Amino acid sequence: MDRFDEELRARAQKEPFPVPEDLAGRVQRTFDTLEEADLPMKRRHRPYRWAGWAAAVLAVFVAVPNASPAAAAALADVPVLGTIVEIVTFRDYAYDDGQSHAAVTVPELSGSDAADEVSDQVQAYTDQLIEQFQADREAAGEGHVGLDVSSTVVTDSDTWFTLRIDAVETQGGAMNLSRLYHIDKATGEVVTLSGLFQADADYVGVLSAEVARQMEEKMAQDSSVVYFTDGFTAIDPEQDFYWDEDGDLVLVFGEYTLAPGYMGMQEFVIPQDVYSDMLA
Amino acid sequence: MTMHTTAMSPILEKEAFCRQILQHQDAMFRTAKAILRNDQDAEDAVQEAICAAYTARATLREMDKCKPWLLRILANRCYDMYRKRKQTVDLAQVQEILPAGETDPTEGLALWQAVMALDDTLRAPVTLFYYDGLSVREISEILGISQPAVKTRLSRGRERLRRMLREE
Repeated sequence: MDRFDEELRARAQKEPFPVPEDLAGRVQRTFDTLEEADLPMKRRHRPYRWAGWAAAVLAVFVAVPNASPAAAAALADVPVLGTIVEIVTFRDYAYDDGQSHAAVTVPELSGSDAADEVSDQVQAYTDQLIEQFQADREAAGEGHVGLDVSSTVVTDSDTWFTLRIDAVETQGGAMNLSRLYHIDKATGEVVTLSGLFQADADYVGVLSAEVARQMEEKMAQDSSVVYFTDGFTAIDPEQDFYWDEDGDLVLVFGEYTLAPGYMGMQEFVIPQDVYSDMLA
Repeated sequence: MTMHTTAMSPILEKEAFCRQILQHQDAMFRTAKAILRNDQDAEDAVQEAICAAYTARATLREMDKCKPWLLRILANRCYDMYRKRKQTVDLAQVQEILPAGETDPTEGLALWQAVMALDDTLRAPVTLFYYDGLSVREISEILGISQPAVKTRLSRGRERLRRMLREE
């Protein structure tokens, strides 16, 4: 800060700032309209608490790589599961000490190298989430910390497999995280976004421009929609994605990356004619 | 993305939420005025931001970040309003921003009048930096622009203020 900076800060503090006389009254009237319990954050999770006697137990700790062949078998009965990718079991992690809780259930895949690879990636990711949960729990003192991790098979066709891992970290507010894992069953390869396109294609530029266009369009259509359009420059070259039921590419963005937190995670459906020329 | 590990706040109850707003209402109005230039619009934006912040208060993760968090929600409301009325600036608004008439000319140009005379993109960063003492990083998050962009705008704003205030 140079001297002029200091002078400006001093003047900003010293000179009277013209606040309208009715501002305070208007703010007060706004307070009156707020409902005590109005908290429609859809994904808000409060950790559940052990009742009475259980709370006295210092820590109830259960950490089990828990084989659930029955659950896996139930899922395997669904005809969408092919031969290359099988869910062989579910890996569970549960924790509850009456103050903080974690509930993690993710599948273990097998049947091919690609399935093993995805399984390892999912395990590494959930290990990292659990490690973070433990660190946050220790740092939080009296505060509550929560972690919920679940999974969905988004696609399982003859040619493609997509597994989505959704995590909700709770600490004060709730933070939603999603990762998507893909296997091209035709080639047996694990695929990320860059692998969809020809090596020299400017898919980052093209998809970024489309996302920027859609952000402007959505804001123009709906005044409650707010995006950080000024701060957005490009998608991540390995942005999370999936194919929707119509076969369209959907790009998935984490909370706070494109929009204020209250807007949650964002997804953009990219029309095929935007990227079809660039596909590998 | 990881969770913060310091000063985590529980979800604010209404009373605590209102206390925070009262503490920051002047800063909210000033930021809104810097973006929108018009008192009435700025008050509308503050009111809408209070409602939006209350609904979203579960996303406030650290109490000591309450002010930048509120200002970010507010800035988004302001940009929204700004976009809508971009083509419809009326004469009354233009007159309101002209740096004349309000103060005794012998006292020279007030800082706030000089700030109001800055370009659209410069007013909010300058206000948040000099009036609210926020960091470049916080301003970048509030306004949704990169840190280098904040620095550039601050530097331009500073130079224009220097010219306006020294030439008075």
